[in-house]
Amino acid sequence: MFKRKKQEEPDGKNKRKKLEEILELPKEVISDKPRVTIVGFEQMLIENYKGILEYEEFFIKISTHIGTININGFNMKLEQLTTDDIMITGKIESMDLESIT
Amino acid sequence: MFFKILVSHLLGYMNIVVEGYFIERFMNSCISKKILLWNVKREKASILYANIGIKDFKRLKKIAKTTKCKVKIQEKKGLPFLIKRYQKRKLFFICLVLIFLAIFVLSNFIWNIEVTGNQKISQTEILELLEKQGLKIGSMKGNIDTKQVIQKVRLERDDIAWIGIELTGTNAIVEVVEAEEKPDMINPEEFCNIVADAEGIITEVKALNGIPQVKKGDIVKKGDILISGTIEGKYTEVSYVHSEGEVEAKIWYSEKTEVPYREQKIERTGLEEKRYGIKINNFQINFYKTLSNFEKYDTIIENKKLKLFSDFYLPITFVTKRNYETKVKDVTHSKEEATDIGIQELESKLKEQIGEDKQVVDKHVNVKEKEQGIEVELVYEVLEKIGTKEKIEV
Repeated sequence: MFKRKKQEEPDGKNKRKKLEEILELPKEVISDKPRVTIVGFEQMLIENYKGILEYEEFFIKISTHIGTININGFNMKLEQLTTDDIMITGKIESMDLESIT
Repeated sequence: MFFKILVSHLLGYMNIVVEGYFIERFMNSCISKKILLWNVKREKASILYANIGIKDFKRLKKIAKTTKCKVKIQEKKGLPFLIKRYQKRKLFFICLVLIFLAIFVLSNFIWNIEVTGNQKISQTEILELLEKQGLKIGSMKGNIDTKQVIQKVRLERDDIAWIGIELTGTNAIVEVVEAEEKPDMINPEEFCNIVADAEGIITEVKALNGIPQVKKGDIVKKGDILISGTIEGKYTEVSYVHSEGEVEAKIWYSEKTEVPYREQKIERTGLEEKRYGIKINNFQINFYKTLSNFEKYDTIIENKKLKLFSDFYLPITFVTKRNYETKVKDVTHSKEEATDIGIQELESKLKEQIGEDKQVVDKHVNVKEKEQGIEVELVYEVLEKIGTKEKIEV
């Protein structure tokens, strides 16, 4: 039973990947990978996130399914907070990503 | 997203302050319970400002308890709170509704009629005509069938060539085109004479058809035949023609006036007072005492219709009454001054009579002295065509 499943899984993933490629679906819709959009240096939209780990005016840490996003800046506000996305406005200085391996 | 915030503006939202040490946890649990937060701002380590919808706020209490945060309402915004605030001012709302109703009702009536394009027919005459057909100030807009009014007016009056009625707002714009008076045309197949219209000395006769009865230098009276359409030959029978031609004559126009040496002139002293009033239909409210402070004065009354926007006239007129103080002044003229005044007066009178396009050949001034004043007579000699056609009855 276990073996079968393990054998099927990569097969299923392959099929799914092929289907995605044929349909040209955006990756963040199907998978749980986050999508980060930055407009200028003042606005940032993070979709597909898990939760807020830390929020200060100058530092925001957001967890996603594949790692964490750290954002440094000044006067940062959370413009929108919904289950799917976060909109950050303010002066964004730097951003780094930490992936969970 | 944006739509949700817009809806919460309508349904009401609050500006809250969250105080506590686990603010991230508070936010995360809000997100997981699908509570919408926006404009989130953190201040210092333990304070968070956020906006939240009115319905979500009730669910917030549980989360606040579990995350050990204190929630305070800073400001209530949105429509429901606005209504609550104004609930005590019922009269204000009633008045607001009444005003809107009044405007709505008043907009169904006509409060102003503008007549344009009339030159010979007076405005009051046209307004009377329209009133007969039901279009008057104060009549319902819905009851007026403009096409029918136009038809009836045109049937009634021959001197109106075209009439257009446009209802815009509470304003009725009536455009009138007057019919030009047609001269009586004589059929070229019928026979006619050419007859003088005025007294004068003939200067030129051009007969194209018919026999000229006058020569250059003849004096003619009104009604004299200038070119005859009856031809009598010595050996033939009497025959008739449609005579044609031009006759030019010198005509005199004269006017007389008397200018007294001593005159009492009424002059304005420059002092002025204004009185105001309001007129609703025929009911007038005056904001002043009826008597004026001046002994003698001219009054000029100005009526101004109140209107909203450009076309929405209201049935209220604003009346301004201006009183100008006047004084009687004795003026004496010398002989020359008096004649000058007389000539000026007569000149403008004569010019009006003659018209501008005609050729003035000569001017004469006759002056007669009298006891009280001076009599001035002004004579203009004008070259003019004086022939008109007159039918011959055979």
